[in-house]
Amino acid sequence: MEAGASGVIRTQWFDGRSPRGRSVTLRVQGDELLLRTHDGLVEHHYPLSGVRWPERRSHGQRQTGLPDGGLIQHASAAEWDAWFQASGLREGAVVGWMQSWRATFAAMAGTVVFLAAAWVWGVPWLSTTLARLVPQSLENQIGEQSLAQLDRLFLEPSQLPAARQEALRQRFARVVETAHPEGDAPAWQLAFHQSGVLGANAFALPGGSIVLTDELVELLDDQPDALVGVLAHELGHVQHRHGLDLMVRASLVSALVGVVLGDASGFLATVPATLATQSYSRDAEREADAHAAQMLHASGIHPAVMAIFFERMLMEANGPDKVSGQPVDARDDETGAGVSLPIAISSHPDHAERIRFFREWQAPGPR
Amino acid sequence: MRDSDNFAETVMMDAQPPAPPHRPQTLDIRFTGSGSEYFRIWIVNLLLTLVTLTLYLPFARARRMAYFQNNTLVGGDPLGFHADPWKMFRGYLLVLVLGLGYWAVSNFMPAFSWVALVVFMGLWPLLWRSSLQFRLRNTSWRGVRLSFVGDIPSAYLSMLPMFLPALAFVVLLPEPVEGEAVAEESARYAAAVVGAVVLVFVLLLPWLWARIKRYQHGGYTFAQERTELTVGVGRFYGLFFKILGVALVVMLVVGSVMGAAFGVMMLMGMTNWAELGRGGGAVAGLLAAVAFGVVVLMVYMLMPLVVGSYTTSRLQNLLWSHTRSPKIQFRSDLRLGPLFRVGLVNWLLIALTLGLYWPFAKVRLARVKLEAMALVVQGDVDEWVADAQPAGRGVLGDAAGDFFGVDMGL
Repeated sequence: MEAGASGVIRTQWFDGRSPRGRSVTLRVQGDELLLRTHDGLVEHHYPLSGVRWPERRSHGQRQTGLPDGGLIQHASAAEWDAWFQASGLREGAVVGWMQSWRATFAAMAGTVVFLAAAWVWGVPWLSTTLARLVPQSLENQIGEQSLAQLDRLFLEPSQLPAARQEALRQRFARVVETAHPEGDAPAWQLAFHQSGVLGANAFALPGGSIVLTDELVELLDDQPDALVGVLAHELGHVQHRHGLDLMVRASLVSALVGVVLGDASGFLATVPATLATQSYSRDAEREADAHAAQMLHASGIHPAVMAIFFERMLMEANGPDKVSGQPVDARDDETGAGVSLPIAISSHPDHAERIRFFREWQAPGPR
Repeated sequence: MRDSDNFAETVMMDAQPPAPPHRPQTLDIRFTGSGSEYFRIWIVNLLLTLVTLTLYLPFARARRMAYFQNNTLVGGDPLGFHADPWKMFRGYLLVLVLGLGYWAVSNFMPAFSWVALVVFMGLWPLLWRSSLQFRLRNTSWRGVRLSFVGDIPSAYLSMLPMFLPALAFVVLLPEPVEGEAVAEESARYAAAVVGAVVLVFVLLLPWLWARIKRYQHGGYTFAQERTELTVGVGRFYGLFFKILGVALVVMLVVGSVMGAAFGVMMLMGMTNWAELGRGGGAVAGLLAAVAFGVVVLMVYMLMPLVVGSYTTSRLQNLLWSHTRSPKIQFRSDLRLGPLFRVGLVNWLLIALTLGLYWPFAKVRLARVKLEAMALVVQGDVDEWVADAQPAGRGVLGDAAGDFFGVDMGL
């Protein structure tokens, strides 16, 4: 079993029908592989293009698949590789890459860079693009279905008088018209519901349905401007199609995590997926806040009214005792950190940061 | 055979001379894969898969499977892997389309997701079978391809009972009542139905398990040999209850450790309070946090590690010690101790290296599991002859099998 000087190798051949191995010699002749038993009774010519060569590795034997289902099996890898090279045969680029530690570390760095780029640009761009491709009718349908589901689980009919509902709807419609004088506002519908489970809350669904709970209306009974601000925030979600966008993002992230972790445990895979989704939804909240501030400003309301909303929500969450002993001050970074605000999703950015955003909001100067 | 054989050559070529006829010969299994080499393969595969937006996945998969099979030596001869990655690529595209369709339906039209589920259930046994066929047909030993000869009706008969609980829920559960007034009685009825179905399913699980494994291990062929699984349902029930027992013991141990930790903590907290006033509360709080972390770690690590290792070792032994054909008898003696140690070290190192140890772990685990096995063969293997085999079908099944996590029990 040694490579001859003239490019001949003695090796072991299996014909594919019997498990009995036989000693043969191999030689590359032009664009053919020549196989021959020692007694010369069997001789095969195979076109080189039909032969499946083994990939070079440091461990394991070399197995070569022949076009007729036969197999060449060579125990000494070094011997085989020497013959392979001496015969003028070429291996794939990826094979050499995998045998070099330097190339492997370069690939590792490349993987990290790719994942970082996918996180920062790839996933947001792809999901926004895909969300835009979804037709409005389908989006409405998705919204209706999730509303029906929420309705079954959490929502009860509103106890607010119809006149009050209508007044709020008119008020918000005027603000939307003022803020979007060209009529470029997304389509929206406002629904009122009572919900013991959700408490004071508001959320937007794909397709433009905005739900406002009676509890929130009562909480901001004397602050209709803040209520309008909350609605403007939800309209921001509708405008940016955040519902669909986040749905696509969650799927993309879990697909990405699945590729990286492969067959690793399912539990491990959920952790990065959850973290990524939360980070993306915080970005969405910031975008919706910016939308709300602009709408309020366009209607001549200072966005600082939103601070009242946050403070009251905080009071709801902490109970009046705590808040009275520790007055809420938006300029204090530490105040009530970690309390999540329940508008729409529990992953809103730190509320102190959001209060500061609304208080310190400045109208963009003319460009 | 057309030509006369050169006996002397054959003897020279083979590592072991053929055993005298009628004496059983033991073929050991050895695994020669290396963690560092698989690490390089894994990293390069991963990068190529990512930058091609997963289109490279079937090629990466073919390389991975070839690496593991070529490094599995049965009686000194490696297993061959012959699947054409381009065929696997076609299968992958099909599965990708199916998967995207399923994703779109369940996200955009949740009301119709049951249709997707029914289609999936109807196709699943078929995909499972063709996945087994594809895998076996593309595996060889000494140049002879293995094959899987289980038929389609049996695949359905052994797999479909798995879907019985879903069917029972659909038939027995009342339509969800719309509106606020969900009658308490119907809620109680629904809870009773769910409880009963789950209980019956759990009790039937070993039986379902046995059916599936009997089909799978009853269809492997090599040359003229076809395997069968010679173990009764009773043994599966026995194993099932042993696993439940082990899980209970682990839970009891974790529970008492947790209880003891809380007891110690409360004691320390109280004494500290008495001595140090408020400062002691912080110490107790810190201790509580540490104890809580330890308990969570134990529940998340120890439970799957002990119960998982126990299940893996006992199931592999049960299945492969009872898989045989007229001339082949498999042996498996996978011990809990070594498997548990490898699992523990693997998880610790994976955590410490932020996942980079993963390929090393996979190689180590494969070595422990494979080297616990051996084959006992009657007669001279060289005399066996395989039928000519049709090739080329079953690509879709393989991709689907990988997608949904089906693998040969090795």
